[in-house]
Amino acid sequence: MSTLTGIWGKFNKNRGNAFGYGLLIPSIIVFAIFTFWPFLYTVYLSFFDWNMISPEKEFVGLRNYMEVLSDSKTYRIIGNTFLYIVLLLAINCVVPYIFAFVIDVVLKRFNGFYKSAMFLPAFISLVVGSILFTWILNPVSGPLAIIFGWLGLEIPNWTKTQGWVILVLSLITSWKVFGYNFILLYASINGISREVIESARLDNVPLWRLFLQIILPMSSATGIYVFIITIVQSLQYVFTPVKVITQGGPDYASSNLIYHAYHEAFVVYRTGHSAAISIITMALFLILLFLEFKLVERGIYYEN
Amino acid sequence: MKEIKFEHIRKFYGDTEVVKDLSFTVKEGERLILLGPSGCGKSTILRMIAGLEDITDGSLYMDGKKMNDVPSGHRNVAMVFQNYALYPHMTVKQNIIYGLKVHKLPKQEIQDRLDSVLDMLQLRGLEDRLPKELSGGQRQRVALARATVKRSNFFLLDEPLSNLDAQLRVSARKELVKIHEMFKQTIVYVTHDQIEAMTFADRIVLMYNGELQMIDTPTNVYHRPANIFTAKFIGSPPTNILEMDYNQGRIIIGQQSFELTEMWKRHIKKAQIENLVFGIRPEHVQLSKSPSQNGLKGEVKYIENQGDSYSVYLDLDGQEMIALSEDRHWHQGETAYLSPQLERIHLFNKETENSIGYPEELNETENNMEERGIYV
Amino acid sequence: MKTNRAVALTWHIIFMATVLILVFPIIYAVGMSFKPLQDAYNNVLNILPLHPSLENYITLFDTLPILQITMNTFIIASVVTIFKIVTSFLAAYAFVYFDFKGKEILYFVLIGTIFIPFTVTMIPNYLIISEMGLLDSIWGVMLPQLADAVGIFLIRQSMKSIPVSLVEVARLDNMGHRRIMKDIVLPLVRPAVTAVGIWFFISTWNEFVWPVLILKTTDNYTLPLALQMFISSEGGTNFTVAMAVSVITMIIPLILYLIFQKYIIGTFTSSGIK
Repeated sequence: MSTLTGIWGKFNKNRGNAFGYGLLIPSIIVFAIFTFWPFLYTVYLSFFDWNMISPEKEFVGLRNYMEVLSDSKTYRIIGNTFLYIVLLLAINCVVPYIFAFVIDVVLKRFNGFYKSAMFLPAFISLVVGSILFTWILNPVSGPLAIIFGWLGLEIPNWTKTQGWVILVLSLITSWKVFGYNFILLYASINGISREVIESARLDNVPLWRLFLQIILPMSSATGIYVFIITIVQSLQYVFTPVKVITQGGPDYASSNLIYHAYHEAFVVYRTGHSAAISIITMALFLILLFLEFKLVERGIYYEN
Repeated sequence: MKEIKFEHIRKFYGDTEVVKDLSFTVKEGERLILLGPSGCGKSTILRMIAGLEDITDGSLYMDGKKMNDVPSGHRNVAMVFQNYALYPHMTVKQNIIYGLKVHKLPKQEIQDRLDSVLDMLQLRGLEDRLPKELSGGQRQRVALARATVKRSNFFLLDEPLSNLDAQLRVSARKELVKIHEMFKQTIVYVTHDQIEAMTFADRIVLMYNGELQMIDTPTNVYHRPANIFTAKFIGSPPTNILEMDYNQGRIIIGQQSFELTEMWKRHIKKAQIENLVFGIRPEHVQLSKSPSQNGLKGEVKYIENQGDSYSVYLDLDGQEMIALSEDRHWHQGETAYLSPQLERIHLFNKETENSIGYPEELNETENNMEERGIYV
Repeated sequence: MKTNRAVALTWHIIFMATVLILVFPIIYAVGMSFKPLQDAYNNVLNILPLHPSLENYITLFDTLPILQITMNTFIIASVVTIFKIVTSFLAAYAFVYFDFKGKEILYFVLIGTIFIPFTVTMIPNYLIISEMGLLDSIWGVMLPQLADAVGIFLIRQSMKSIPVSLVEVARLDNMGHRRIMKDIVLPLVRPAVTAVGIWFFISTWNEFVWPVLILKTTDNYTLPLALQMFISSEGGTNFTVAMAVSVITMIIPLILYLIFQKYIIGTFTSSGIK
């Protein structure tokens, strides 16, 4: 806040600027209380041993981090997290990218219908989705199991099976996330000048080349944005089906860093561990984003 | 005293100086045009008058008062923007009177002003339309109307006609003149179009690279360019500028030369500058197929049809010279003989690129010619 | 180059299948909510109930204060939406129309918060709410959700597309910021503000993570929490009642979707991501 008062004097001659700061104050207060301070406090908590109830917090230095990082569970969970990320990216980044391209550029009919229908689940509670899919994908009595039964196929008992549980939870999360990402990517591809696409077609450029060499680079700013929110936000969305369906089980097989931080804090009351895991999660996100930018930076084409 | 005075005004964007030590005065009730290529700083000057840009250094006076720190709304300024800046969600009428209503003018007064401007700019019947339902010309007139009803002392126009086609520009210029004759505002008008400048201005300020090149009447800017830039910028095709040597009353271009008149010789002697650059407008070079006295010769390179005449591009010992000719029988590779009209030549100091001025005798003639309406 | 018919058909089949997967569960939920539980178990494949009954809804109203719960959800979503829209609009206005030192950094920091996982602020926010004595209250649910930079981002994008000269004309007419905001900027960004508002409402309505931490008693529940009751404790035996709650949870978002779908798609489309 001190920087703000510092600038105040400079603009004193112009009452307008005081007004400008006034406009920002509500946002700044809310963010200070519910985002910035909590962030710092989490960093602080990660150096203490505490159970959220006891009046005493014991300073333990880096011990929380050491414990978390020497626990084999943690590596499993990090592994799970990466598996989630890869699956979510494939389903909610790669597939909608291709879909958006085909619907906008290749096909001429039903565009509006596809857009509306695919966007619909984005409006619906993921808890609803979780419960519904638990029923629909029930390996014994669910409708899908019955149809598979006619074909002589079996649905694995996915809530209890390693690997499968992550795949199915990713699919359920994607049910909600897919449409939103699709709309963003569609908008970006739709914004590319038709002349560019038409001239490529006049040159008889094959579709896959059109996609990879023209559409992809020209929509890459949005593409990167979708890539990032898929990692950061979808992973948080996964929390809901995990909490509703498996609570991280069986034996942490469906847990990820987000759920695990919650679990440590509010199920087993180890705030220090939880805080350390959150900070590690953020660090991992930052590294991922950094790598992403390093790798793709040169290829970015900023729309407009 | 509705005059605007710039005193040593400078403007920086970061480290770039976009307006360099500018001093001039816009006289009360005058139509002043700021002319120059894009990026010359002319729009910045206009926006400084409007108070939309800060002034880095120097003083701006309007109506005798220093204005540097006075907010836009208190400068009694009306402005027409290049994109018209009409409020898209308001009708024509709402657009025009919005400012008046906000300042709580009496209802009757607002109505009177609205009526008169609707009639003057032929906007009757369009009052309830939204801007998107208007043609480009109509939008431009609404923008003019909105600025006019303010009855401000200062009227600023930023490329107001550049989005119109050629025919609409002519009628829009007439409307502007009509508005000015009615209200006699002090007008500052930014354009990059020299025809607009020539036809509309009382005086022209020619800018280049943030520097004032010349401020004078359209006639003088055309016939008495203060420097090489002005000579080249004004007129189409541009003034020919050629490297030359001066020796004992003769101008030497390449291997050829011709003799100046006595009054030029006296003038050059008086100016004491012999390191010169030669300039002449294409329309002041006479072209013929046979050798002429005291003339030059060149090879025809290229011919451009201008409608009523032809621009003939000539090679003059390695330098290019354009001449206007009414004769269309010129062929590439042909030799042409040209003689410059000696009272219409321009000479510039090679180092400073400024004009060395004109012989006194010519200045007198200039005035006489203007009175007799020889210059258009 | 003409698109091959067979290729087009293949794509259409793929898209139709995707649409089916995405939309089918919603229709299925509606059908199930009108089936008695036994019917649901015996005729899993029938989407439409053979003997439609309101049994599930009656059970629901008997076991839960569902009206109160719906009301809670509505109040939370409305208050959070209105607050976020107002503060986001004001902040976006400051970011677009004022110049001050540190503007870029402040904007960057605020937008950066979008990418912070919620677990990073979870414990301290829980402690704050607890300190304020707001555990198990709708205020406790609302407050931490007020810090959200998405609105600032989207509304700012929309404001930036207004030509600056419109605001300059108003400044030349000596209009204050309050008036410029109300008469010029707000009408021009209204579509974006509406779309963002609807989006806020829907996401708060559906919010699950934070209410789960804060709310304890059923009287204070929101709909997604009520929904969870029927699956976690009884292992899915009350599936059809859960479907009835689902339907109640979905009604308002679905109506809003039908009305505002174009607006919202339009805003995400035009705001772009830069």
